[in-house]
Amino acid sequence: MPPLLQAENVSKHYGGVCALRNAHFTLRAAEVHALIGENGAGKSTLARILAGSTEADRATIAIDGRPALIHHPLDAQRLGIGMIYQELDLFPNLTVGENVVIGNLHLREGRLAIPRRIEAFCRPFLERVGLACGVNARVGGLPIGQQQLVAIARALSMDARILLMDEPTSSLFDDAVERLFGLIAELKRAGVAMVYVSHKMDEILRICDRATVLRDGETIGTVETAKTNVDELIRMMVGRDLKLAVRPQRGGSDDVVLRVEGLTTDKLRGVSFELRRGEVLGVAGLVGAGRSELGAALFGMDRIRGGAIHTRGSVGLLPEDRRLEGLMMRMSVLENSTMAVLSRFQRLGFIRAREEERALRPLARQLALQCDSTAQPVGQLSGGNQQKVLLARWLLRDPDVLFLDDPTRGIDVAAKQDIYRIVDELAAAGKGVILVSSELLELLRCCDRILVLSGGSLTAIYDAKEATQEKIMAAATQC
Amino acid sequence: MLIALVRSLAKAQSLAALAGIILLAILISPMAADGSRIFLQIGNLTDILRQISLIGILALAMTYVILTGGIDLSVGSILALATALVAMGLTRAWQAAPYGWHIAMAIAAAVAASALVGALNGVVIAATRIQPFIVTLAAMIGVRGLAKWLTDNQNIDIGFGRDVAAEFAAVFREKAIVIGAYATGAAMFWVVLARTVFGRHVRAIGDNEKAAKYAGLPIRRTKVWVYTLSGLFSGLAGVLYAAENHQGNPNAGVAYELDAIAAVVIGGTRLSGGKGGISGTIVGTLIMGVLTNMLRLNNVDSNVEMMIKAVIIVLAVVVQRDR
Repeated sequence: MPPLLQAENVSKHYGGVCALRNAHFTLRAAEVHALIGENGAGKSTLARILAGSTEADRATIAIDGRPALIHHPLDAQRLGIGMIYQELDLFPNLTVGENVVIGNLHLREGRLAIPRRIEAFCRPFLERVGLACGVNARVGGLPIGQQQLVAIARALSMDARILLMDEPTSSLFDDAVERLFGLIAELKRAGVAMVYVSHKMDEILRICDRATVLRDGETIGTVETAKTNVDELIRMMVGRDLKLAVRPQRGGSDDVVLRVEGLTTDKLRGVSFELRRGEVLGVAGLVGAGRSELGAALFGMDRIRGGAIHTRGSVGLLPEDRRLEGLMMRMSVLENSTMAVLSRFQRLGFIRAREEERALRPLARQLALQCDSTAQPVGQLSGGNQQKVLLARWLLRDPDVLFLDDPTRGIDVAAKQDIYRIVDELAAAGKGVILVSSELLELLRCCDRILVLSGGSLTAIYDAKEATQEKIMAAATQC
Repeated sequence: MLIALVRSLAKAQSLAALAGIILLAILISPMAADGSRIFLQIGNLTDILRQISLIGILALAMTYVILTGGIDLSVGSILALATALVAMGLTRAWQAAPYGWHIAMAIAAAVAASALVGALNGVVIAATRIQPFIVTLAAMIGVRGLAKWLTDNQNIDIGFGRDVAAEFAAVFREKAIVIGAYATGAAMFWVVLARTVFGRHVRAIGDNEKAAKYAGLPIRRTKVWVYTLSGLFSGLAGVLYAAENHQGNPNAGVAYELDAIAAVVIGGTRLSGGKGGISGTIVGTLIMGVLTNMLRLNNVDSNVEMMIKAVIIVLAVVVQRDR
């Protein structure tokens, strides 16, 4: 029997950059198949080609052994391929029902979108994904996890036999992740094949049957997840062995650099904690618990309604979304790095190029920053290197307190290790570091203490030695 | 590397377009009595430069505005206000002052008022966060009204007698002065954008304003300055306009803002901000100037000229898209 989907010789160039080079990929019926690789390895590009949202330069695709041409998302829809994008492609100002029926070829009852028809059409699919909100809820008002369910319901309503998911858990916290995994298992039983693009090894080993590894646009190999382990997968991804470093022992300091007392904003309720020099303080919590809002308050971006922030020094903030809030994508590595400290290199308003360049050089080495030249626009770098440029901006500024908002989100394994090392180095240099993360293991790896937020309130502070994933989850879900 | 490459290509493309149009202009140029091509005569070439200078000056400052993600629709009206103010200053004020001082005061008053209008645009945009399109649209209407009200809807003729105004017009309508003003302005704007902290901030804000906020850049101050510069240089252009046309004219400069925006866009600067620069704008201005000159030398109907320009604008943007 031919495989459900077979893609051969898939190639794609963006300008001079080769995203995929004769990649191949085979999907069996009713399997969950992981597509993994470092950032820039081409996994998202491959998924988008299969979904018809990106057109390949060259590709031979067969479905059920029959050649298939996919040039447009509607082609994919006809072939039963649906995709859940990382940045969900929903219309935030339309209702759940309207989002499901828009562009849906299977809505046979004419093109008139009458609310009653929409409701009748959507209801079974919404029930299947377990979405409790009404058909008439505005999508933009739903939490991100539920929005994702809307996207899945839409794909199912389009009769998808193949569901592509691009980093579906990147913006979910553990409870929503569990619900998603439950749904994936259920869909699999119902015969839906799924392609699961992700960075997260534990998830892949847990829910996927097989994994295909891409590196630099080429297919390295496909393995059964039952017969492999994290080390092997990472080795295939990076092409070298990677030691998972452990946290260095740090001596405690008593020098409090930041003290927050009863901090209240529109999103926070009476949060109090202290941060010492040389300490890494983790912040855990579900999406919407106020993690990023804590940074915004400390950085002076949100209005403070009550309580007080006492800092002995300056505060730096690495924002959660490096594309939207962090980097100037068309400007160069150098320009982005020195952005916040330009006054140091100026005389009479003119920038002294040589001094500017000299300031970045040692930092680029320390961060293991990889770029063709410092004149390269940051938009061309991988996610990990982009994050390092943003880190460089704040390291040059040299604040006493650094608030890192999910710095490893969507970056590859090697770059993650670099970031962990930099966090260690910052603490060793006597900075106070606040690290927000959606990955509990990351918090346990990096932090001395972990603070848990739930619904804008602080529900627990654990010493790293006594913290466990279970304890943190319990505190994060308590109201 | 990729974007740098595309960017340099884009620059080459607009340069190539300029070269193509110049070549075409040479080829189809009518002949003078001595058998030379009129287009290539020094007089004609300098005429082109002089004709583009006013729009060119507006387009320089417009480039900064557009780089920050904004737009300034009020430059034509500000230009008209400046022509009126400089003419009023020359004919109705400071009669006792020596010529040199008198002229300097009249120019300073016109330019200062123009800069003030620009600053007001900037302050309203920075403080209220209303879209620049709307704020400068309001200024475009209001300032035009101000210019007409100040002059009672009358042109103020200058420079037809033997007085200070004649001196002013004689000096400031000199080709060398007009072209020199444009060239100096262009060099200044280029250097400031490429080499200064302010220029870096202009590009950063247009590229990603939210990130600029997180990086602690002075967004409001930069915007106020950008619109102030736009007003100031509109005022300078107004002074040159008054000298060239021997009048303060409250109806001057209608639709100049659109020509300036067109020059910026042909030069490859994005209306969404962040991408582009002064060199592109200079090339864009030259393309418009040579095109106009070529068509006029060949007696093409000015209405047809507008249609051709329309096509050129769209083509220029299509060619310079990056994929």
